[in-house]
Amino acid sequence: MSHIHFPDGILPTWLWVSGFVIAILVWVVFFRLIQREDLGKRLPLLGMMAAAMVLGAAVEILPIAYHVNLTVISGMLLGPSLVYLATFVVNVLLALFGHGGITVIGLNTLVLSLEGILGYYLFRLFRRVLKRLVVASFLATFLALLVSTCAMIGIVSLGTTHYGELLDHGDENGIIGFELGKDKGHDKEAVRPKKEVNFGRFIAVVLPLGFIGWILEGIITSLMMRYIYRLRPDLLGMGSQEA
Amino acid sequence: MIQLAYLDYLAVEGKSWLHRSSPVSKMFGVVLVLTGVVLVRSILGLLALYGALLFVFFASRLSFKVFPLTLYPLFFAFFFIFMSGFEFYFIGLVFLKVVCGSTSVVLLLATTPYPSIFSILGKVLPSLFVTALFLTYRSIFILLNILEETQQAIYLRGGFQWRHPWRSVVNISNAFGHLMIKGIEASEAMYESMTLRGFKNKIHYRGE
Repeated sequence: MSHIHFPDGILPTWLWVSGFVIAILVWVVFFRLIQREDLGKRLPLLGMMAAAMVLGAAVEILPIAYHVNLTVISGMLLGPSLVYLATFVVNVLLALFGHGGITVIGLNTLVLSLEGILGYYLFRLFRRVLKRLVVASFLATFLALLVSTCAMIGIVSLGTTHYGELLDHGDENGIIGFELGKDKGHDKEAVRPKKEVNFGRFIAVVLPLGFIGWILEGIITSLMMRYIYRLRPDLLGMGSQEA
Repeated sequence: MIQLAYLDYLAVEGKSWLHRSSPVSKMFGVVLVLTGVVLVRSILGLLALYGALLFVFFASRLSFKVFPLTLYPLFFAFFFIFMSGFEFYFIGLVFLKVVCGSTSVVLLLATTPYPSIFSILGKVLPSLFVTALFLTYRSIFILLNILEETQQAIYLRGGFQWRHPWRSVVNISNAFGHLMIKGIEASEAMYESMTLRGFKNKIHYRGE
């Protein structure tokens, strides 16, 4: 739900360009933090987790139109720097299949990596405090998804004026428009009220559906963590005595 | 995503004029279409663009089986219906932008083998990023194979049943967990074989 599903040409240019600039700057910072040797060893793992995220995003849960991101569990397994690189790659591949626009890749990377990085730190915190793997995984996932969805809503709200302009284009021409059937002699602006996007309705749809999705993904992630812990506790950096 | 293998097959085995066109020109075409999608704000303009893309789709005699892939992103545009307050112009605009973008990308992927695409991307993007992209793309096929095997096991354990939601969620979670573990094991094997072949954080494509 936190993934911005906007196609190209809907978000204002300044917003998606800023998204790309910030995403690339963060990439440079994380790239410097990772040791070259370690990166080579972990690239196949990064690819595999990114592929799992892509597959998770392709499975739509009806009727709430929710898909699991698996970003939080990837964050827990990969760590903050690698999950950032993985979400960048995931968003490029998802955008190629129309799952969010290509111009939205930067913003989607920022939102999804926030989810993964936050999930990683919250999981470590809850695991230390609560000493219970399943509960810690659930809480970390739920809170990370809540924060990233709020971040997504915040980002989308920045373009409200622009969406209003797009709505108004019902009677106008855009940057590249056609003059067919346009009545030039009549001043429509004077009589036609400005249309506005109902952003409240958008939030009213996203948050309740998101809430169900966060609980569902929280449960799925915690059960997956339990399964992984039973078979490969080394992947979670845990000995068998910690459960 | 399940049709990815079929797209790949079409890209390699296809013989149309679009398959024979250079990958650079096709990628340039996708960039042009995306620029159009971002700039054009009239339904007529977008209809003309979509019409041109449909013409290319049918003129290149691509299998109709991949056509639904071009419509798949419409599913995610559903929130716009609520956001716009059921403004048909806005919904039409958004839906056309979606299908124009997805049709151009499906045209590219169904007519260009992926190593050619990654080879070109490697010239303009950081090699580490393209390597990660390539490994992810490869891993999708590995995971799809594992998923196919796992699906049978889930089915034998009851699969997904609305009457038993908890058991269903446990089954699905275990399947995803299994997928992750098998995927990680496959990635470890992949790293070993890549190291044996001299991998040093960069994949070299044929002709480089």
